[in-house]
Parts: sequence; structure tokens; C-alpha cells
Amino acid sequence: MQATSCQDFLNQADAWMEGERHPDASAHFRQCPACRGALEDLSAIRSEARSWSAEEAEPSSRVWTSLLAQLEQEGLIRETLAAEPAGATTGWLRGWFKALPRPALAAAYLAILIAGAFALSRPINKRINEAQWLDRTQVSTSPLSAQLATEQNAAYSLHDSDPAVAASLHQNLAIVDNYIALCEKSVQEEPQNEMARDYLYGAYQQKADLLAQMTERGETIQ
Amino acid sequence: MVGNTAEAEDLTQEAFLQLFRKIATFRGESAFSTWLHRLAVNVVLMKLRKKSGTETSLDEMTEPDEESGGPRRDFGGPDLRLSGSVDRVNLQRAVEQLPPGYKAVFVLHDVQGYEHNEIAEIMQCSIGNSKSQLHKARMRLRELLHEALRAKAREDRKAAGADSGGKD
Repeated sequence: MQATSCQDFLNQADAWMEGERHPDASAHFRQCPACRGALEDLSAIRSEARSWSAEEAEPSSRVWTSLLAQLEQEGLIRETLAAEPAGATTGWLRGWFKALPRPALAAAYLAILIAGAFALSRPINKRINEAQWLDRTQVSTSPLSAQLATEQNAAYSLHDSDPAVAASLHQNLAIVDNYIALCEKSVQEEPQNEMARDYLYGAYQQKADLLAQMTERGETIQ
Repeated sequence: MVGNTAEAEDLTQEAFLQLFRKIATFRGESAFSTWLHRLAVNVVLMKLRKKSGTETSLDEMTEPDEESGGPRRDFGGPDLRLSGSVDRVNLQRAVEQLPPGYKAVFVLHDVQGYEHNEIAEIMQCSIGNSKSQLHKARMRLRELLHEALRAKAREDRKAAGADSGGKD
């Protein structure tokens, strides 16, 4: 059996750092101070890099002001709105929503809100505990739920004069709400399960799509 | 990843702009989070490519002499150890000197905690490519940190020499 060289050992350094221990590599590690030193260095680099993830930078207000101006210039939104109070995670998005030509871009707004919620729910460092996962998911979905409730009321009011459409809307929303409840239960049970959270945001997206369609249809009829 | 707050904010703005421009192209073929991360990573990589003045693919965003595999030379001298000398400032400086492809994979894996399969999807490369880029990034960082350590040792010696010369 050919002994592991320093080059071979260092080529497998990442696997070693993940805990893989091949007998040849272990033998080399025991007898080679240079490679032990190299692994110490690599571990120190990884450890320092991991500590950066604890810091989450928040962009300055300049970014949002400038983005708003650019979106207006490109015609993606229609008008400048009064600034929202600072600190509201989705305040600036809500502000834009008021400027969107309804209902055509309502779905786009909700999609962005869902994307924002998803991004917020996804911790930068995934090595955190279940309570933190759950907390992030709840914090990120609460403005989303509130906005969907507002949209739901708007959709109901648009169709209250047509009992057949209103009944169909009730029925479809009940199905989607049931699906959301099931997904929420799964996330509660397994906060770290990425697929469960994917399904939850997918369920929100379905509800957003349904409400956007119903709103569009209601406004067309009126 | 860009090592500069103003530039990071410009890229944040650009990523959101791209999100607005391209939201309609999302077809649900991958998780939305993956799509969004890919969009953001692409914005950053485009910027880094422009900065380096070249239009290159991810595979080319490495250093040619490392493509044959393994580190370029020996591992920084047996007498020097980084342990205790790796801090935020000098690691940040070293990361800034990495080629864009290495930098992106290093930040996604070692800083943000993504797995190789997720990075492969975000960067649209193979898992093997992601692993290889991470390995080379770490080895290159080690070299750069050793170079910085040696430069500092030289400066310290020079300063000590100047001090003792001044006292004579």
C-alpha cells in the first residue's frame, strides 16, 4: 500500500475537516507536523469565516430611496409615496403596493412579499436551533398573513353581489387555507425541514394567486 | 463578498431591481429561494467580473496554475502557523484577493453555511466543481494569510532593527 503524501492529504483536507477519517490519511496526520499545521490553519480560517455569519447588515435608507426612484423611472411602479415609519420590515413594500396598478401587479407584490418572507425565514447560518428557525418563520410570515387577510376581504367584497361566485371563492379559499394549515403544522413539527418551509411558502403563493385572480375578475366585472 | 459597504448597498439595490424586472420569469422549476439567491449571486458575480475587467465563466474564474489540482506550492513554511493570527481584518483582506468564483463559493459555504448541493444549484455548476472551488479557495486564503504574516514579520524586524540602530 502506497503511503499518503502531503499533497494527497491536503487534497482531502476538506473531507478531513468534515470528520472523514481514512486510515491512510490518519496515519499521515499522526506522522506529519506540516500537515497538522496546515489543518490547524484551515480550521482557523473556517472558524473565523463562520463567525461573520452572526452579523447581519441592514442596508441604509439610501438603498430604498434610490431603488424607489429607479423603479419609478423604469415604470415598474407609478408614483412616489410618503416614507413609511422606519423599522417596519415590509413597510416600504406595503408602500409600493399602494402605487401598483391594481389588480395587475397585486400578484407581483404578494410574490415579492412571499420572497421577502422566505428570505427572512432563511437564517444566514443554518447551524442554529429549532426555536430560532421557528421564530424566524413566524416573524417572516406574520406580515404576509396580514396582507393576505386584507386581500381576502377585498376579494369577498368584490363578489358579494354574486352568490355563486362568492360560494366558489369561499370553497377554493377553504381548500387553500386548509393546505396552509397543514403546511404550518409540518413547519411547527419540523422547523428545520427546508422542504416543509418550501411547501408553506408555496401554499401562501397559491392563496396569493387565487386572490389576485378573483380580484382581477371582480374588478373586470364591475 | 465585495468588502465595501457602499458597493454592497449598490448591489443590494441592483438585486432588488432585477427581482422586479424578472419576477415574471420565475417558473417554479426550482425553489423560489434558490432562484432568488441565484439572481443575487449573479448580480454580484457580474460586478466582480466587470471589476476584474474580464468576461469569464465560473470555471474560468480561478487561477490557471491551480487548475492542475492542489495548491501551487508548499504550504507557507513549516515555521509559520496562522492559529491565533486569523482575525476579521486580515481574513477579509485575503478574501478580497480571491478570484470571484472562489470568493462566491467560500462565502456561500464557509460564511453563510450552504451545502455543496445548494451552492451547485445557486451557481449553476456541479457539486464537484463547488467542492473543488472551496478547496482551492481555502488553500489560497491560507497562502495569502501566510504571505501577510511573513510581510508583517519582515516589517517588525525592520522596525526593531531601526530602533536598535537609533539607540546606538
